[in-house]
Amino acid sequence: MSLDKFCSSISNQLNTGVLILDLEGNIVLWNKFLEIHANKAPETVINQSVYQVFPELPKRWFERKITSVVQLKSPSFCSWEQRHHLFELPHTRPITTASRFMAQNCTFLPIESKAGVEHICVLIEDTTDVCYYQTMLNKTLADLALANRIDGLTQIFNRKHWEECLANEFSRARRYKHELALIMFDLDHFKLLNDTFGHQGGDLVLIEASKVVSAILRSCDLFGRYGGEEFAIILPETDITGACDVAERLRKGLEDLAIEYQGNNIKFTASVGVAVIDENDNRYEDLISNADVALYQAKSAGRNCVRLSQELVACDDLIKLV
Amino acid sequence: MSSFNLDEDQQDCLQELINVAMGQASDQLARYLDTFVYLKVPKIEQVDASSLTATLNEERAAAAVVSQGFFGYEGIRGEALLVYQPNDSDKLADLLGYEPDELSVEEQIIDLSSILTTTFLNVFASQIENQMSYSAPRLVSAGQSSVSSHLQQLSFNWDLALKVKISYQVTDYSFNCDMILLFPESAILNIKTVIDRILEEY
Repeated sequence: MSLDKFCSSISNQLNTGVLILDLEGNIVLWNKFLEIHANKAPETVINQSVYQVFPELPKRWFERKITSVVQLKSPSFCSWEQRHHLFELPHTRPITTASRFMAQNCTFLPIESKAGVEHICVLIEDTTDVCYYQTMLNKTLADLALANRIDGLTQIFNRKHWEECLANEFSRARRYKHELALIMFDLDHFKLLNDTFGHQGGDLVLIEASKVVSAILRSCDLFGRYGGEEFAIILPETDITGACDVAERLRKGLEDLAIEYQGNNIKFTASVGVAVIDENDNRYEDLISNADVALYQAKSAGRNCVRLSQELVACDDLIKLV
Repeated sequence: MSSFNLDEDQQDCLQELINVAMGQASDQLARYLDTFVYLKVPKIEQVDASSLTATLNEERAAAAVVSQGFFGYEGIRGEALLVYQPNDSDKLADLLGYEPDELSVEEQIIDLSSILTTTFLNVFASQIENQMSYSAPRLVSAGQSSVSSHLQQLSFNWDLALKVKISYQVTDYSFNCDMILLFPESAILNIKTVIDRILEEY
């Protein structure tokens, strides 16, 4: 067997498309992989323009690619990660991907003869499997990243992620001298709810309370479960009046809520503390302590009310003033 | 001095080979890109695995890093990292001769990286009567954390590397990037063999 025969036998058994073009883009060689996947016999494509056989090719881009290979005598690459496919060939596997076509890695090689580069070889590798698994992996990673930020029970931000958000918002507000408000609230006598209705009843209260509050908030507000039955909301670009308004609305929303559970109507209230960023706050933790102190005062004042940090003004009064 | 260090003659010789390759590469690139491409005198140094991350972290604001493996005869092999600064990719499509809507920014960065790497290394290879093959270039990241994790992965595979850093400047497009070639220890010994042969022939 001659070397040529070896080569052509191997080329025809490769699970890779081998396409050789002259410098005008006419097809010189077409291996069996292409014959099968494009479903075109060599005699129907040889000497035809590649742009005619594959009208989907981005012609200008393809021509520039070829120029770089010829002029720089260097290989050039095209990965499925940036360009899913160049040639519209069907899948080799009946699996669901976003595209109807085979994902491809294409390599453009200069073929040098004595006269310089007169031909280009395009190798077309099927990467449908890689593409499929990579897509699955990316989705899983995105799910994991989300799970890492979310509290499983209430589906709002967990403590860790919420605190990271606060750290960011705090430094941004400090840097640009923007307003920033913080609301912390705690469900009143939650232990009693748990004791009366069981932990499942208590869990339902946490879930429904989170839903009611989420519905009140703007999309830029950051709502998290601070721990147990304590929740916290970051309100960017919000002054004391705006924050008190939100605090009062969420207190009222929770007071009005009645949750049906095993034939019972669960009613409950919340105590709310409000703080806004102050020149003296150097760390975001200062803002948390201020809101926490206000929350404690709301509890001492008999619960089911809103208290404001520092000035110790009852928010009801402030709202009436506005 | 370990056997991986280059002595003064070897270092000079390598420097000279690289200088010549840079001149030719810059000429080829200018013709292809139709604009002047300046290559700054390279910095050649030995880095060990632990300090590799630190030395590369100098390019702290890196917006993107593209990695491409290269391998030639006589065990000359390594990895090229192209390091881009933020905002430098705005005019890339124009520089490459594409219409901006023909390809994504990522594809432009990968394309340019491959062109810079292969053009330089092809000329360098011909200087040492060698020929290079290349793996497909990969975008390592567009974010700081994945760059350092990639670098950590890199240095995991060797203790010592020869690092050649060449800066590219395309003034007409106010564009800069750095090419960092890393040769692992086994390749350093092979490069030394090649350099010694060239020095003998002088």
